[in-house]
Amino acid sequence: MEDRIASLQTEAVTAIAAAADTRALADARVKYLGKQGEITRLSEGMRDVPKEDRPRLGKRLNELRQAVTAALEQKEAALAAEADARALAALDITLPGTVRDLGSLHPLTRLLDKAVRIFRRMGFVLADGPDIETEWHCFDALNTPPDHPARNEQDTFYLPDGRLLRTHTSTVQIRVMESQTPPVRIIAPGAAYRRDEVDATHLAQFTQMEGLYVAENVSVADLKGTLEYFFRQLFGPGTETRFRPHFFPFTEPSFEIDIRAEALGGRWMELAGCGMVDPAVFEAICSRRGDRAFDPDKVTGFAFGFGLDRLAMNLTRVPDIRMLVENDLRFLKQF
Amino acid sequence: MKISLNWLRDYVAWTGSVEELVALLTRTGLEVAEVATRGADFPKVVIAQILESSRHPNADRLSVCRVDDGSGQPRQIVCGARNYKVGDKVPLALPGAVLPGDFKIRTGKLRGVESEGMMCSAKELGLAEDAEGLLILPPDAPVGQPISTLYPADTVIELEVTPNRGDWLSHLGVAREVAAFTGATVRRPEGTPPATKPAGDFVSLKEPGLCAFYSVRRIHNVKVGPSPQWLRERLEKVGLRPINNIVDVTNYVMLELGQPLHAFDAARVQGGIVVRTAQAEEKFHALDGREYTLSADHLVIADHGRPVALAGVMGGEDSGVTESTADVLLESAVFDPASVRRTARALDLHSDSSHRFERGVDPQGILAASARATALIVELAGGEADPEVLTAGQLPASPAPITLSHARCRALLGLEVEEAAIRGALTGLGLTLLNEGGGTTTWQVPSHRGDLQREVDLIEEVCRVVGMEKISGRLAAAPAEPAEPDARYDFQMSLRNKLAALGLSEARTSTLVSQAMLWQDRPALRVRNPLGEDQAFLRTSLLPGLLAAVQRNIHQGAKSVGLFEVGRIFQAGEPEESAALGVALWGRAEKKDWRGGAERDLDWHDARGVVEALAGPHRLVRISAADPLGLAAEILVDGEPIGRIGQLAPAAARALDANAPVVVIELSIEALRKREASPSYREIPKFPAVTRDVAIVCPLPLSYEEIEAVLRGAGEELLVDVEPFDVFTDPGGEKLPADRKSIAISLTFRTAGRTLSGEEVNAACERLKERLKRDLSVDFR
Repeated sequence: MEDRIASLQTEAVTAIAAAADTRALADARVKYLGKQGEITRLSEGMRDVPKEDRPRLGKRLNELRQAVTAALEQKEAALAAEADARALAALDITLPGTVRDLGSLHPLTRLLDKAVRIFRRMGFVLADGPDIETEWHCFDALNTPPDHPARNEQDTFYLPDGRLLRTHTSTVQIRVMESQTPPVRIIAPGAAYRRDEVDATHLAQFTQMEGLYVAENVSVADLKGTLEYFFRQLFGPGTETRFRPHFFPFTEPSFEIDIRAEALGGRWMELAGCGMVDPAVFEAICSRRGDRAFDPDKVTGFAFGFGLDRLAMNLTRVPDIRMLVENDLRFLKQF
Repeated sequence: MKISLNWLRDYVAWTGSVEELVALLTRTGLEVAEVATRGADFPKVVIAQILESSRHPNADRLSVCRVDDGSGQPRQIVCGARNYKVGDKVPLALPGAVLPGDFKIRTGKLRGVESEGMMCSAKELGLAEDAEGLLILPPDAPVGQPISTLYPADTVIELEVTPNRGDWLSHLGVAREVAAFTGATVRRPEGTPPATKPAGDFVSLKEPGLCAFYSVRRIHNVKVGPSPQWLRERLEKVGLRPINNIVDVTNYVMLELGQPLHAFDAARVQGGIVVRTAQAEEKFHALDGREYTLSADHLVIADHGRPVALAGVMGGEDSGVTESTADVLLESAVFDPASVRRTARALDLHSDSSHRFERGVDPQGILAASARATALIVELAGGEADPEVLTAGQLPASPAPITLSHARCRALLGLEVEEAAIRGALTGLGLTLLNEGGGTTTWQVPSHRGDLQREVDLIEEVCRVVGMEKISGRLAAAPAEPAEPDARYDFQMSLRNKLAALGLSEARTSTLVSQAMLWQDRPALRVRNPLGEDQAFLRTSLLPGLLAAVQRNIHQGAKSVGLFEVGRIFQAGEPEESAALGVALWGRAEKKDWRGGAERDLDWHDARGVVEALAGPHRLVRISAADPLGLAAEILVDGEPIGRIGQLAPAAARALDANAPVVVIELSIEALRKREASPSYREIPKFPAVTRDVAIVCPLPLSYEEIEAVLRGAGEELLVDVEPFDVFTDPGGEKLPADRKSIAISLTFRTAGRTLSGEEVNAACERLKERLKRDLSVDFR
């Protein structure tokens, strides 16, 4: 019996080690440890063993069962590890990923939001006003003479009741000063309209961003600091800003701002108009309000405005402004 | 406006380079649009005269000329042009000359005949963009002299002059600015102010408000003819066409001093000059050859019969100077800017003269210009001028003095400008210090600077001269208090970001649309003066524009289109403007990938999924669908309408070439925003949920909503969620009668505080099924 135990252990351990897969391993388990298995049958043979040999042989038998069980577990773990390794090795990691496409934000929205975030960092808040405006808000209050060409039917869209589609977002300056008191510090993005024939560089409807800061002791230095910071943030360090004297009816002094930046191709580009709010604008506001909250002897301010469409085109190298409103997905998905 | 650098240097002793000048002008506020090199600066191109011309023996298209180059030794030149005759003077490029494009001239044979140089066209010398044939020079051109004696090298600078600076619209005006910024001296053209005499009955000013001052000078016995080359060359260089010596002088003086002038043929002016408004329907033949019908809005210069000029805009065709003119009436006057602008615009007739009068001329320059032009006419056309200029009306008053507070100047600029810098800047610009004291100075403004009227205008001048680069940027302001517009902006950006995350692309469509792009559900506002009928209305909805974009993308071959727009919509009525969100979906629900799997088209339920993602739980209530929608529903959140969802009628979809459903959503952004709430924590359940599935078979018309309402309304406290997971119909009637559908629903049960037992869940589930059977007469599978 003792010999049989020894030979069975050798046989079982060898067979288990030779099992090539989980099925062969399961067969081995049944063969040795199953109800009809060889070790089980050997245990049944203990009945015929003399009493004095039983403890010794029982112990040997137990050792046999433990050794076979251990061999089975070990082999099982080895096979599982091999299977895991095979499963990972079989993965073709070069197949393209599968995910639902993200959508996209319009390039104008992206630029606009970037601009809004920069101005907010400086403490500006948003303001808005209607697209349909009165001539007073669009021209009179902005010190534009009654016979100014911009008021022309050739240049401005009018509604039958004499109101118009704002030609610039500067109307929001007026709306804000009508309803708030200094200090005011706002930006106002929005649509503006001019009666331009549509071509590669003109749309009848375009997007502008307006800014206004009115308080005591606001100076050209504040204007310069604010816009230099803005353009540096927008276009990156190394951006050069040039303030060129200009003329607008609603600011005095007035400037046009030229920018030179790598992001814009490294050449000077006229990007914005700005200046110190003209005292005539403050006077128009005062008489409208019926108070002296915006008395030009007490407060000063700066205002600025720039178009976003052409800027977006330049930043993203879009060759034709009409692409911004054609809504071709092959275009929109690039942003 | 174009200026010539050579011409400019007549008036200012400044010798910087072109680059320095461009930088300087830019600094002053004169925007430089273009810099062009003009003239013909070629030492080896000379003026030559053609002595003989004969056919080339070997080539029909060529001829062989003998020309005099001034050396005394005639040259033989082979030539292909035909626009000359023997005796003409032409430019001749001698061997060794280098023409534009690095074109080197050398002696060589052309079809076997030797050519000792080349006769040139204007184009070959870079004098014109396009020119056929040889450049024929004036008969008095000096043979043998370099061509640059006729076409001196020059730089022409095109300037963009802002409307407030009419004084810049002349060479003298630009010269004054250069002097002010560099300290150089201005040289005014020579001229003695003429004696004046009241015109009496000869000039009658009927509208002193529109023409305050009028002067006219008679010049007798002029000889009208072509202008000399130097004058023609200067005018041509800055874009004017030479006419005759009289007209050219008036134009020259305008470009020199800024004062528009007009010369009448005195014989064609009957009786005297009347400056009046036109009569209604009065006809006027202008110098441009066209007839204009005038009205009482237009100021005219008339004689005792008819208008002879549109005041400040253009002269008349039949009163102008011609070859037969002997006596000239030279007009120099001032007209109301607004009146000139109205007339020019109403008649769409814009001239160099109207351009200047619209911006205002220098009142002190009116008589000076008259004197300057008279002197030039007498010099170039002979004749003799009346000793006196006849005048009518009053010269406009000089600008009033302005007092400048230096403290205000410093505060507005944010710069501690030195006392001397302020004085220096204003003095340099021609202002005269009248008074000072108490930190202020009072200044007399020169007559050409009518734009300087207020203290702030002087501050601007100081800023210009001192330069923005002297001012350091400052960033030190308190943040402003955010308000509603900030919240609106943030909400709109969050919507945009959510929609992009859902796979939709943001579109921007035009606010101005055609009538066909208006749906009939809201009254639309029309633009009075649209550019065309396709942009005549303000959109009442974002959807038509989005649908046009869907069609465009279908035509471009897109397989799937998901677009949204956040924008304003308009209507006649309140609210006139509102912010809306539009969505349009069409095509494949997923893009094809290597996993394969079933493909399906986007449909109503995908659109509803977008609503779910943006608005959360909501109800849909069918509403009548107006064209082009075939199906429409109002979207209610907590009973409040926030927008609508719809599907295009199949015919409308086909019209877009859409072969699958086109579904749309339009939401009111403000209605949506009102429902926005900050999320707050809800306890995460500690005990597991138990689910049971039920498969209901019911008639086709029974809606899922009714089934869910019965389940949720059954009062089962343990039921926490109801979710359909399969809907099945069988139009063939094999697995299910064709008039019935099967809906499989997953019921979730849970209670706080303990784990549910299977028995109590089963019992609850049975009660729910009984309830469905009782209330809706459904069966179960």
